Amino acid sequence: MDESHALVVEGLTKIFRQQTAVDHVSFRVARGRFFGFLGPNGAGKSTIIRMLTGLLRPTSGDAVVEGARLSLDLLGVKRRIGVLTEDLALYERLTGEEHLLFAARMHRIQRDEARRRTEELLEFLSLADERSKLVVDYSLGMRKKLALACALVHNPQVLFLDEPLNGIDPVSGRVVMDLLQRLAKKGVTLFFTSHVLDVVERLCDEVAIIDRGRIVAQGSLDQIRSQRALAGDASLEDVFLKLVEADVRRGDLSWIG
Amino acid sequence: MDRLIALVALRWRLDVRAVTGERVRLLALVVAVPGLILLSAAASFVVFAGVRFLESARPELTLSVVSAGTTALGLLWALSPLLAGMALTETYDLNRLLHFPIPLPTLVVSSFLANLLQSTVLALMPPLFFLGLAVAGPGGAMVPVAFGLALALAFVVASGQLVGLALHALSRHRRLHDRLLFVGLALGLLLSFLPLLLMSGAAAPIGRLARELLARDVFVLSPFGWGIRAAVHAGRGEADAFFGFAAAAVLGVGALLALSTSLVERMYRGELDLGEGARESALGRSRVFLKGPVGALLEKDLRMVWRDPRQKAIILSGLVTPLILLVLVWQGSSGHVGPVPLLALASFVGLSTLGTNAFALERRGLPLLLGFPVERVLVLVGKNASALLLRVPAVLMIAAATALLAGFRFVPAVLSILLLTQLLTAAADNYLAVLFPIPVPAPGRSPDAPTSGSRGLGVAFMTMLAMAGALALSSPFAFLAWLPHLLGDHRLWVLTLPLALAGAVGLYGLLTAGASALLMRREPDLLARVLGEE
Repeated sequence: MDESHALVVEGLTKIFRQQTAVDHVSFRVARGRFFGFLGPNGAGKSTIIRMLTGLLRPTSGDAVVEGARLSLDLLGVKRRIGVLTEDLALYERLTGEEHLLFAARMHRIQRDEARRRTEELLEFLSLADERSKLVVDYSLGMRKKLALACALVHNPQVLFLDEPLNGIDPVSGRVVMDLLQRLAKKGVTLFFTSHVLDVVERLCDEVAIIDRGRIVAQGSLDQIRSQRALAGDASLEDVFLKLVEADVRRGDLSWIG
Repeated sequence: MDRLIALVALRWRLDVRAVTGERVRLLALVVAVPGLILLSAAASFVVFAGVRFLESARPELTLSVVSAGTTALGLLWALSPLLAGMALTETYDLNRLLHFPIPLPTLVVSSFLANLLQSTVLALMPPLFFLGLAVAGPGGAMVPVAFGLALALAFVVASGQLVGLALHALSRHRRLHDRLLFVGLALGLLLSFLPLLLMSGAAAPIGRLARELLARDVFVLSPFGWGIRAAVHAGRGEADAFFGFAAAAVLGVGALLALSTSLVERMYRGELDLGEGARESALGRSRVFLKGPVGALLEKDLRMVWRDPRQKAIILSGLVTPLILLVLVWQGSSGHVGPVPLLALASFVGLSTLGTNAFALERRGLPLLLGFPVERVLVLVGKNASALLLRVPAVLMIAAATALLAGFRFVPAVLSILLLTQLLTAAADNYLAVLFPIPVPAPGRSPDAPTSGSRGLGVAFMTMLAMAGALALSSPFAFLAWLPHLLGDHRLWVLTLPLALAGAVGLYGLLTAGASALLMRREPDLLARVLGEE
């Protein structure tokens, strides 16, 4: 086992009804990295996250998360990770505070410590005033912050974040981004997907770009630029559009103007 | 007119696709259609024969009776989404069409016209036709009769539309939505008791009241009956009365459609947005009562059930079956009930734990639950414990009934049998939950919407098998618990009851460990099945 890598993905493949969604994907993420995972809609990002977090069985391939092998020690993997999924499955008839306390207790955090962490997270994510509201009455941004709090409550070694800033107001977005950067500095590995490429460019040390189920590039932005002989000032958006061979149509609609 | 036709066609196309695209709905329709046809035929016969009889024997009562019938039908029709416990937000949604520059009256009328082709509305046509034949008589004026009947039908459908919209407006206020849903379900449950009530001694006073109301013709005030009254008057050749009631019915339908339009306008302009529910939902600081993940799960489930009107209603309705059985046992025993029927009842209530499904309450929260690194055996124990705790009211009812009907000394034995049957049934149900998970609706849809690929006939067979298995597994322990009574020495209960319970707990542990090992192996497949991602 490679001790310096938090995440080792080996030939991960997922086939849904004879359609290959993820095709022999392999990559490694060093510990404490802010790793951006990019791809167009339907490229396989969420499927890979679901497989890496044990929510979907790979058709073939395996992964090792902080030393725990997915196929052999699923609970071990789940102990080490925090997950913020795109669909934000939350218990709607619990209050925000109850939800967070529940998540902490399910991670076997002692009652007093669970309460302390809950308080701190609610304050930090500006949810303290909404603590006693049912989740069903939360806005999208509040749900996202609560789901993020649940992913953080047990001090995970690897955080999987699927579009974490989507729907969050700019102030909270900045708080969350600062927090994520501090976590990365403390050695937490962040596996991050977002369609907002300038945010990814700003935050991530390394990115992988997936298209039609295959990794088409991986490395720092500079590395990818030099590998693909792209201009030195090309933004991540330029690189991304080039690599996924996006057909960006230009021109007018015939009936407008 | 083009837009109206396009809107009606769109709605019909969507309705047809909703049925043909989902196996469960298609199956429900296939099952429902013969029933609807039979019901419609029976209703046609009753209406025709009844009205003919009234017209010949008691013609002065005809108007009152048909008005009362239509009023009852109209009220049930309008309140049916509430009584069925349907999510109020599902009853009506014009949101997607409001972005188009379509006049609101056109939208409302298109929805009204599309409603006329619903299968339940179509099932009303034959009884109405036969009612027309009955009131028109030979050589009667069929056209004005049909016009009156059409007005009656229009009023019923338009009132359903208005109530649907009102419920949709109310559903924006979550607390009101929850309360209405709970009250509606309770009302539906009470209505289902109506036949029992009528079979009991309450039939006579209800009959007297009904006769009094019919004799005084109070239903002349019900707008549901105006169209029907117009039809009857047309059949009798009473032109003035026909025109009077027909005009009133036309005005009534117009008023309902105008009210619906106004409601849509105000609702979607935000004037009726009663969204204070969020502020009101503040529930105070949360408290932790129990330790560990099992305690956390238990507290979470109890809180969620108590706060979810649908779940709460299901739990309360679970009390009804034992209550009915108790009443039947009581009536059948002419006052003296021996312990054996109570023993059977205890086993029956214990077996009713089957089908609770350890993961049913989780629905889209299942990935969240299984995302926690908690040993799966503890997850199953926690879920079973909450299923058993939610049945405590039924257990207490059986205990009280046993104490009252058979004597206090039978309570420990009856309760032990109930508990051990519940425990082993929950253990058997874990296997069903793991092997035959129930898919949940996709994100964005109502969490309670029906889904395709739910448990089919094969699974129903497996459920029966599991029930037989649970019965077989619990029988030796139940026998052990009951042995002292068979031997006529009740002192032995001190020994046999703890032994029976300990044996059942041991077997439950073994079965649950097996189910948790199965769950560990099948976990990602189970999630894929539940979330419809296979």
